Amino acid sequence: MRISKGALLIVIAFIAPLIVELRTVLAWVNVELTLLESAVLGIGLIGVILVWALWPQEGTSESAG
Amino acid sequence: MTNTYIESFPAEAKVVRAAFYSSFLALAIGGLFGIIQTLHRTGYYRFMDSADYYTVLTAHGVLLAITFTIFFLVGVFTWATTTSLDRPVEDIRFTWAWYGLMVLGTVLTAIPIFAGFTDSEMSASVLFTFYAPLQGHPLFYFGLVLFVVGTWLAGVDWFRSWWAWKQEHPDERIPLPTFMVLTTTLMWYIATLGVAAAILLFLLPWSLGLVESVNPLLTRTLFWFFGHPVVYFWLMPAYMMWYVLLPKISGGKLFSDPLARVVFVLFLILSVPTGIHHQYLDPGIAEGFKFIAMTNTMFLLLPSLLTAFTVVASMEHGARQRGGTGYLGWLKALPWRDPVFAGMALAGLMFAAAGFSGMINAGMNINYLVHNTFWVVGHFHLTVGTAVALTFMAVTYWFLPQVTGKALWSRSVALGQVVLWFVGMTFMSNAMHRGGLLGIPRRTAEPQYEGFEFEAAVGSVGELDAQIALGGALLTLSLVLFFANVVGTALNSRSDDLPANEYADTLSGPSDAPLVLDNLKLWTAIAIVLVIFAYSFPLLSIIERGGLFGPELTELPVSIGLGLEYLWVTTVSTVTAAGETAITIIAGVSS
Repeated sequence: MRISKGALLIVIAFIAPLIVELRTVLAWVNVELTLLESAVLGIGLIGVILVWALWPQEGTSESAG
Repeated sequence: MTNTYIESFPAEAKVVRAAFYSSFLALAIGGLFGIIQTLHRTGYYRFMDSADYYTVLTAHGVLLAITFTIFFLVGVFTWATTTSLDRPVEDIRFTWAWYGLMVLGTVLTAIPIFAGFTDSEMSASVLFTFYAPLQGHPLFYFGLVLFVVGTWLAGVDWFRSWWAWKQEHPDERIPLPTFMVLTTTLMWYIATLGVAAAILLFLLPWSLGLVESVNPLLTRTLFWFFGHPVVYFWLMPAYMMWYVLLPKISGGKLFSDPLARVVFVLFLILSVPTGIHHQYLDPGIAEGFKFIAMTNTMFLLLPSLLTAFTVVASMEHGARQRGGTGYLGWLKALPWRDPVFAGMALAGLMFAAAGFSGMINAGMNINYLVHNTFWVVGHFHLTVGTAVALTFMAVTYWFLPQVTGKALWSRSVALGQVVLWFVGMTFMSNAMHRGGLLGIPRRTAEPQYEGFEFEAAVGSVGELDAQIALGGALLTLSLVLFFANVVGTALNSRSDDLPANEYADTLSGPSDAPLVLDNLKLWTAIAIVLVIFAYSFPLLSIIERGGLFGPELTELPVSIGLGLEYLWVTTVSTVTAAGETAITIIAGVSS
């Protein structure tokens, strides 16, 4: 893992304010997301973060990590 | 031997524990009322009459904003003075006496509030902001008086400890935690003069039928004289935890003791002369006085920004001690797995957002946009509801083992709890802020009107309601997890493997702080002068225009009228004399 489990949990938690505020911010540039689209975007972001966090770092093996 | 607080101060640990448990009881009941009103207002689940909403709101506000916070902070302050002075309280019976008085005050206040749910004529559905024209049962005001007197005596207890310590250590600087307790207590003494005057001179005699009416604007102004600085009475213990505990948990030291002292001095002198910023829309107070209040309020950003800098610098120092590197890479080295750290860090982050919405509230012109709207509710759920409450819950996971001698029931549940609070409050407060921008009012069970619909700029009002209900549900679940941990820890057996009762060392210590920072008389005098500048003329003007007991009142009971007149003249002359003395002291120090 690239970061500790505790840090990963916090990073995932940060997705909540990011997604909630992003909807308002995007509306300023006439991009209006529905609730469903926001939820899908949030889940997608969490998925990306999980892949990044769980992917072994370059030069390290699973057993070493 | 584990060197916990309960081993060093067994008698004091019992009082601190009792204060914490009292606080948690208030949190449980207040939190329950929170989810009830959330579901009622959003329309997702209604089982009571909307008229009872105000009783629920009063119980929610009083139990959380007054009882939960203040019981917790008196426990923290007692811990702070005994630990940092390394001495027990002077007389443990006195300590139990003020705690008992606070409990009695709470019970007496709660009786008329809860009676509001029954058919009884007794009620006090006057909200946390209990100024006129809403009138509560006399028992409500009497209980509040006892509660506040209990906190005053608690302050006396902490000052007694310091005075006794000073006799034995005449040349030493005040230890930082005790310094924080003393400055906060001095601020509280000044601030509560407003609410004491409002209750004892006006609201209590009025509810007892001794006077026929009151001047509503006067009671509102006296309430906000206390009502804004009470925010700092909650916040200062949270700041204390960020300064003395967070760096320790981060693995490092406090960046600067002198900066921490400056921050608490600034809060002592600036907290009280700001209350009128809650009354920007009140007719009867001239714009100039409101402008002074706004200026003072904006100055309060300074200690908050100093705190942000000092606390983050301390965290970075801790992270680098733990092997963290890089411009931002050090963030990964912080102990995010520790609920005490994670909770405080998340609370601090939410407080930054609260600061931004607070600036909107404080700005006199832009405040008109959000005044008395749901925005304000969103704001204070970020301040007292997160910066304070989440910090208190997070440090509970450190304090519980200290005051019980038992290991925490579950660190994983604790971590989940603080993260859940952060996420829940994000949903809830965001929707409240946005609702406020649409003009949706606060303090109502029925935020809808015939022939008119609020239109959301993004999404819909229904979506905002859903977001509030979701946030409220997550917050309630978080509370359940918190209480599971409190009860689980209480049921644990004693442990010999607990962290020692220590707080953070400093990188820049008290010897780097100018001696004048410890001159509490000077800072108190300046605080009083600022209060005189901010409040004398508005109060005189309000009384001159609306009378002490309202413009319509022609027949005043002679004894009360003469007594109040005498009291008013005496107060004005005393305050003026105090101001002149303060100016003399300031002139002496500056020359």
